Amino acid sequence: MRPILQIISILALLGTIGPPLIFLVGGMDVDAVKRLMLIATVLWFVVAPFAWERGKPKQEEQVTQTPGESG
Amino acid sequence: MSDNSAPKNEYEREPVPAKALLGFKSFVGQYAGEHCAGTELMIGPLFVASGVGAFDVLVGLMVGNVLAVLSWVFLTTPIATRARLTLYYQLEKICGRQLVTLYNLANGVMFCFLAGAMITVSATAVGVWFDFPMPGLNDTMPKGVGWVTSVLVVGGLISIVAASGYKMVARFANIAAPWMVLVFVAFGFIALREFINVTGTQIHSANDLWTLATEHLWKGGDPQPGKVKFTFWHVMFFAWFCNMAMHVGMSDLSVFRFAKHSWYGIASFAGMFVGHFLAWLAASLLYALQLHHDPSNDAVLPGPLAYNAAGVAGVICVIIAGWTTANPTIYRAGLAFQAIMPNKSRFAVTLATGALATAAGLFPAIAMQLLGFVMLYGMVLMPMGAVIFVDFYLIKKLGMQDNYAEHSGIPFNWAAGLAWLLTIAFCLFLVYYTTIQDYLARININFLPGELWGMRLTGVQIYFVSLPGWFIAVVLYLVLSKLVQKKGALA
Repeated sequence: MRPILQIISILALLGTIGPPLIFLVGGMDVDAVKRLMLIATVLWFVVAPFAWERGKPKQEEQVTQTPGESG
Repeated sequence: MSDNSAPKNEYEREPVPAKALLGFKSFVGQYAGEHCAGTELMIGPLFVASGVGAFDVLVGLMVGNVLAVLSWVFLTTPIATRARLTLYYQLEKICGRQLVTLYNLANGVMFCFLAGAMITVSATAVGVWFDFPMPGLNDTMPKGVGWVTSVLVVGGLISIVAASGYKMVARFANIAAPWMVLVFVAFGFIALREFINVTGTQIHSANDLWTLATEHLWKGGDPQPGKVKFTFWHVMFFAWFCNMAMHVGMSDLSVFRFAKHSWYGIASFAGMFVGHFLAWLAASLLYALQLHHDPSNDAVLPGPLAYNAAGVAGVICVIIAGWTTANPTIYRAGLAFQAIMPNKSRFAVTLATGALATAAGLFPAIAMQLLGFVMLYGMVLMPMGAVIFVDFYLIKKLGMQDNYAEHSGIPFNWAAGLAWLLTIAFCLFLVYYTTIQDYLARININFLPGELWGMRLTGVQIYFVSLPGWFIAVVLYLVLSKLVQKKGALA
């Protein structure tokens, strides 16, 4: 199951960057780009947590020790 | 998605042992994710508002980012991988507990303002759906009931989540990071094509692209009213020093103490060239496009900018970018303040910190002046990095005691404290030279020259003071240590 979810999530990432790239080379109109990006966004956030998450994230622990991002 | 193989023990008051060291990939993931923040959507447009030219922004960013990476590689990681201590513990050994508390206070206050700017960024996304007046480029005060309500709701939610626990946001940020990077890049692709369409440019060669860049994307010329004109040097120093607190200021000792080798500092390259190159340039294109369509619309509002380019996905990106970076910033500020008030609960302190950040976010002055604020943030924390550098490499060679506070048992090392505060005073003196000179002249004190060797003396812009400031801090700490240690007569 997990490999399938991983493939779907990778497709979601391709759906996020692919349409703008096709738009850049003049192969798609901007409204279609916006629609496809939204679909890809929803797909990514639905699938990615199940496809890629393992155990506890590291950032949670490091954050107690390091000042943050500034820009 | 940065790695999940976290060390269970945080080793806050001991060197990180070999078994807890992390691989190179962990740092690449962490830096790429952390440096793609909501504030990138302000910084890129503010470059354009500052009248930056194509060569200046492209080459300036490349050189500045390389210098930032080299600062991590040659200043931060060699100390981090040899001492393997957190910044705070290392500072405590050198400075004493009371001085570290003061440093924490300064750190916490700067974090609050930074989080405020991130809340401002997220609040602009709300304005896409609710039609209320939003702040302009030179607005400093809250703009109407709609804006205030938007900031209060966004800031309130962020604060409650930060106070309730950081775990969920950290997980969510890890999931969002790869998607967010791609949306930032997508902004650039979309804006570039829109430029090609509206200008009728034909791109057949790199030359054509360069012509488009110089004539339409980053045209140079006068900055927007109220903004400093940005040259190559401004861009270079900004890119180099916008994370000054982390590399030269040594905050990232806490991160790289887990690195197996000192060359792992090069992992910061991922953050610099994804966040501080691609994301800044992409965001700058969104704003340049807005100005191209309507030169009178100079407002830097990431929400509408992103919505116009990428629709709802763009707005979601702005909200998530602001939220996932404001949250840890508030959490970190809360931790810094809690170190000062250990008896208060973390929940209460973080909530109060969030309230402070939200109050700061109401005032668009911080976000709209973000370039200057980020430089101030680096400048304030930089001298302590110089203190650590001197203490680690030079002080013993010059016959003095390293980790002086630890060895002498003092709670406040005046050498480090004065080096820190006098360096800040020196830098601010350079920045406000003309103002100070004018003020003194008004009360008939004229010892500050207006000219030197025929050259008019004006202040130094904040982008350029931190480099001489670092050397001043080094010299001050050495000289003051000599005096303090002689007087203290540490046996």
